[in-house]
Amino acid sequence: MIDLSFDPELELLRETARLFGAERLRPRERESEAARGVDDATRRAFAETGLAAVEWPESLGGAGLGALAHALVLEELGAADVGAALALDPLGPAYAALVELGEEAALHAIARPLLERPGGRAVLAWNGERRVELRAGTASGAIPWAPCDRADALVLLDADSAAVVEAGIACAPLRGAGLRAAGAAELRLERAPVRDWWVNPRAARRALARARHYIASLLVGVMRAAAEFSRGYALERVAFGRPIAHHQALAFLIADMATAVDGARLLVHEAACALDRGEPAEVLCATAFAEAAEQAMFVTPSAVQILGGHGFMQDYPVEKWMREARALGLLFGGVDAAREDAARDLASEATPLALVAS
Amino acid sequence: MNFTLDDELRKRLAGLRELGRAHIRPLGLEADRAGRPIPADHPFYAELLRLGLGRTRWLGGEEEREEDQPSPGGRNHRPAITGVLLSEELAYWDRGVAVSFPGPGLGEPPLLAMGTPAQKQRFLAPFRAPDRPRWGSFAMTEPGAGSDVAAIRTSCRPDGDAWVLNGDKSFAANASRADWIVVWATVDPALGRAGHRAFVVERGTRGLGDFKIEKKMGLKAYESTSFTLRDCRVPAANLLGGEGLAKSRQAGFKGAMQSFNSTRPMIGAMAVGIGRAALDAALEFARAERRLGDRRVRERIERIHRRLRAARLLCWRAAWLADAGRPNILEASMAKAAAPGAALEATLLGMELLGEVGGRGDHLVEKLFRDVKAMDIVEGTGQIQRILMARQLVGLPRD
Repeated sequence: MIDLSFDPELELLRETARLFGAERLRPRERESEAARGVDDATRRAFAETGLAAVEWPESLGGAGLGALAHALVLEELGAADVGAALALDPLGPAYAALVELGEEAALHAIARPLLERPGGRAVLAWNGERRVELRAGTASGAIPWAPCDRADALVLLDADSAAVVEAGIACAPLRGAGLRAAGAAELRLERAPVRDWWVNPRAARRALARARHYIASLLVGVMRAAAEFSRGYALERVAFGRPIAHHQALAFLIADMATAVDGARLLVHEAACALDRGEPAEVLCATAFAEAAEQAMFVTPSAVQILGGHGFMQDYPVEKWMREARALGLLFGGVDAAREDAARDLASEATPLALVAS
Repeated sequence: MNFTLDDELRKRLAGLRELGRAHIRPLGLEADRAGRPIPADHPFYAELLRLGLGRTRWLGGEEEREEDQPSPGGRNHRPAITGVLLSEELAYWDRGVAVSFPGPGLGEPPLLAMGTPAQKQRFLAPFRAPDRPRWGSFAMTEPGAGSDVAAIRTSCRPDGDAWVLNGDKSFAANASRADWIVVWATVDPALGRAGHRAFVVERGTRGLGDFKIEKKMGLKAYESTSFTLRDCRVPAANLLGGEGLAKSRQAGFKGAMQSFNSTRPMIGAMAVGIGRAALDAALEFARAERRLGDRRVRERIERIHRRLRAARLLCWRAAWLADAGRPNILEASMAKAAAPGAALEATLLGMELLGEVGGRGDHLVEKLFRDVKAMDIVEGTGQIQRILMARQLVGLPRD
């Protein structure tokens, strides 16, 4: 029955992530952005928390918890510094593709050795547009941007399959629009050997759904941070004799921003619960991603607006959140592809929102 | 965390769905075509009583137990979430018919929140196992006081063992057929909310009259009725909560506002239900007309589905908090503010897909389009909800 509370274990996990973010990530967010990476001390401290591993199986040193646990962690890290959150997660959303298509064997053969390498990163890239061509056991082409500074394993995901490349990946650094703390690179491949190529449309769809869910969780964190920060600012900043939050034009905007964050978060949690129950979750994950991305692109520019001129300056974090929300929403085919995937399934249903099946 | 429904609730929803398909939607369409509310003596209402509907949530007895209070011994531990789910399903079939259902209606929450044990006994007991369809009603709105409920002008003054009421009331659901109406009045408009009093005015009381059933854009199946109070003498025993409650500062107004807090998520859920009906009808039409191959159409359907789903979850959360006995003012307003916009968009899309067929004025979607607008107006407009949210979020001052 409908119950929106969290188990104490999840509450504790969320609090751990919140504290880590507040103490270790947020205070250094501009440094991490400028350095295009996270310093080693933070990296070590993060590894000790085990937060990257909540969803991994015990065989990989993980906690074996589900998508909901992961979503709570990602929201907190995303609210603190989303670029750093990506930098600190060695497998990131690539984990979903490895486990869905390559299963346990891939975790052993690909993820485990990668985790033993200091700073090792697996990168998931959407290859639905065939920017990288797979032919005769090799991969050639380029991914125009990925938020990473290295790729020990590149997982190329499309609608039907996933291919893994471990060698011959050239990382050409980019300035990056956002998420710079995670790095930014164009990934070029010239007849790079394909290590594995798994063809499994159902698993590929599920992997994409989980990757979208990962990003949606981060987006909720980013927009929550923007909504909370700008609300606080609006209470302190005085114009025309009162806090700007008490002018109805801004009061209503702040109310709508809070609603946007909460609505997106509820969709993320609903999708997480479906994933954790092993139910079909492709529409729910695509829906959560589309909503999180769309609302983040309402909330984060609104936060900049509330700060006015200050919002545009890099002394405040809101401009960074606006750039990062936009960048996150570009990943894995972006918002349009998510909406199209959700729509295709909806079009075949007679009553997509029915409370009880007919 | 869990977003699934238990079997018992599924069964109730499935039962409601059958009732909706067989009776509620056809009756709503019939009333819409006729442009008149369903008559009070319609056999459907007697049938509802046989199904166990049209009753009070008040359980009576010495413990004063109420089904809408979280109580481990109560029959229903989840009244708010149950109410939200049933409201959505009812509104899916026809929101106007749902409001016309017999029962104490919106008069019930203030009776439960403010009424003395004797008042609950007098006015709610007849709704426990009603011998015939009975209605209660609620009258706050006036021609000159809608959102600004503190501005009501209907006056009340004590006179011996009675109070004398004078004023005009507007848009009260089911008022002309009601056994009683909870009427809000003021001892002195200058006192604002502190001057408010609520009275149970019984049918046939001298001075209660001029009932006028308004003509509306939609939701025609239930009556929205205006009436007047002319030197209407109401026994002192009908003052809700008695003198004691009335003298505690702002108690009257707070009682009224509490009744809205418990119903806001349900209104949001009703909007979701209307929107869902429009989405299903739009999908059916688009499929028949082979429009789903058009990506633009699919995208708009996706957006409607997403907005309605998010709105539904906001309603569930507000209700879940209420059932857990936790504050939900912010969350209830979020649900009430978000859902009507999503639902309106669903009906607008439905009309767009219908094209000129929508212009004929005889399609379900066209009716839903007229029905849905009320959801952003009743029980606190979208703007009032944002004011309430802003009070919680940024301490928006009251003046």
